[in-house]
Amino acid sequence: MSHAATLPAPRRFVLPHRLRAWTRRSPLAAAGVLLLAAFALLAVLAPLIMPYDPVAADAAAVLQAPSQAHWFGTDANGMDVFSRVIFGTLYAFAIALPAVALAILVGVPVGLVTGYLGGWTDEVLMRFFDALRVFPSIILALAVVSAAGASVVNVVLVLGLLDAPVFARLVRSEVLALRSGSLVECAVATGNPVWRILLVHLMPNTLQGTLAQAAVRASWAVRLSTTFAFLGLGIQPPTPEWGAMIRQGAEYMVTGQWWIGVFPGIALILLSLALNMTGDGLADLLDPRRRSAG
Amino acid sequence: MRRALPFLLRRLVLLVPLLFVVALGTFVLLRLGGQDPSAMLAGPTATADEIARLRAQYGLDRPLPVQFLIWLGRVLNGDLGHSWISNRPVLAELVDRAPASLELLVLGVLIGALVGVPVGLISALRRGRGFDHAARLISLLGFSVPTYFLGLALLLIFFYVLEWAPPGMGRLSLMLDPPPRVTGSFLLDALFAGRWETAQSAAAQLVLPVASIAILCAAPIIAQTRAIALSVLSSPPIAYAEAQGLPPRTIARIALRNAATPVVTFIGAELVGLVGSGSLIEYVFAWGGTGQFGLDAIVKGDFAVVQGYVLLLAVFSVVVFLAVDLLVLVLEPRAGRA
Repeated sequence: MSHAATLPAPRRFVLPHRLRAWTRRSPLAAAGVLLLAAFALLAVLAPLIMPYDPVAADAAAVLQAPSQAHWFGTDANGMDVFSRVIFGTLYAFAIALPAVALAILVGVPVGLVTGYLGGWTDEVLMRFFDALRVFPSIILALAVVSAAGASVVNVVLVLGLLDAPVFARLVRSEVLALRSGSLVECAVATGNPVWRILLVHLMPNTLQGTLAQAAVRASWAVRLSTTFAFLGLGIQPPTPEWGAMIRQGAEYMVTGQWWIGVFPGIALILLSLALNMTGDGLADLLDPRRRSAG
Repeated sequence: MRRALPFLLRRLVLLVPLLFVVALGTFVLLRLGGQDPSAMLAGPTATADEIARLRAQYGLDRPLPVQFLIWLGRVLNGDLGHSWISNRPVLAELVDRAPASLELLVLGVLIGALVGVPVGLISALRRGRGFDHAARLISLLGFSVPTYFLGLALLLIFFYVLEWAPPGMGRLSLMLDPPPRVTGSFLLDALFAGRWETAQSAAAQLVLPVASIAILCAAPIIAQTRAIALSVLSSPPIAYAEAQGLPPRTIARIALRNAATPVVTFIGAELVGLVGSGSLIEYVFAWGGTGQFGLDAIVKGDFAVVQGYVLLLAVFSVVVFLAVDLLVLVLEPRAGRA
């Protein structure tokens, strides 16, 4: 066993070391994750941080500019914009996370099965996904939600199902690349049943790509979910949801009360940016060819 | 160009099943609510008589496949039903407004591509340097701004605060009459009619919405062009050219030639998504194009219009994809042989 001694000892997995290495390799991902963690903390601790009840109208403090008492000012109902922006984080997560989870739950198995088995189901499904592409996703989502009834549950269902093809395609292409490789060949040769090859051998290999894509799609879901409320579909204005707040804010821009719409808008951009940075950075970390690309 | 005709014919034949699926999808749209489709088409102001008339007209009491065929037959004849809000034929409403939307979209995409493609190329050539990082951050930001908020933010900054731009209320200053209709674009029509003041106002109204679309479209173009250019730069033909000691200018020309096809394909795909974003931009700027009309219909539940609008967008996408295929055929000698 003399040649074994020349191999370098496997490095032990030490989380802080790994974190530092990852941060150095992709500062973008690190910044994104940090920002995302801040938003998650904000959502969890919302009841503790909010200085006011987000839906408590105060007739004595209507349309006040940002001040010591109201950091982000107050809206037309005298509600504190700062508290409402914080509470809105909850809505953003509550719609985007289940939507992306649904997309993954539907898309990943579809991608695994069609990619591995191929055949006419694969062909038909892929053509169907191609056909879906001719509809702009924003309009399709809005039209379907409007036809099916604009409830929060419907928004989640529609966003999730519309986004499932993204994951199906991604997983399918990775499975196709692996199917002809030695991994699957060995798994088949040792007598693994198909379900085991799919779940144990192939799925773990597609997880990383799925994770990176999940962050990017969550960003899409956050932006789109606020679009419904901005247009007046579903969640209605007194609710502290960012899109609904921006809708109200747009009306008051004319008279100079910019803070009603601008602060939720900035929060929305930051959360969307955090998710995009996380996804983009993860893709960087996971794809060795892109690593040095910066 | 001799290859173009058979290629085009083959594509057109392939379009038939695609358009059939698209029509089916659009038809199903109305069924999602589980409500009476004739009531949804007739709108909330309809009388029982009107609903009954509509039900008979569209055979909505017949089995579903029959209903679909009746509807498809009407659509093929250009009958998309009536809007219950305006009480006019849906197709006429949508087509009348199309030039306004196309004006925004074409200008926005043109400017977005003219900025995005060079920035993406320079990014790839200077990868890892300051310019590259800045471009990446800007394109990430462009990805992250919700469409409607971008429009609002531009209005807030350039109209309310700086007072450089006109208010976002339509395509022309309220003081002016629209020019006689030739193309449907106020800017072009005013120029044709020689009405400079009108043309000026139309151009000023265009600035912010076009800028919004250009920003939305430049972000993915920058990212994608950069990725495409990077993969081309590391491809065998370029390595070969470098090994031959060709001058950098020649190498750049070969690289551009190779990157053209994927970039064109990508911009075509982008255009389809941008129609959706363009509708939101129209909504924010009260543009009055097909997009705003369609969104209003979605919000107000004018389902005949929603159906027609979604169908029209799908047909538009199909046309764009076809145009892209033809363009690729011109750019790429290898394409179309298979």
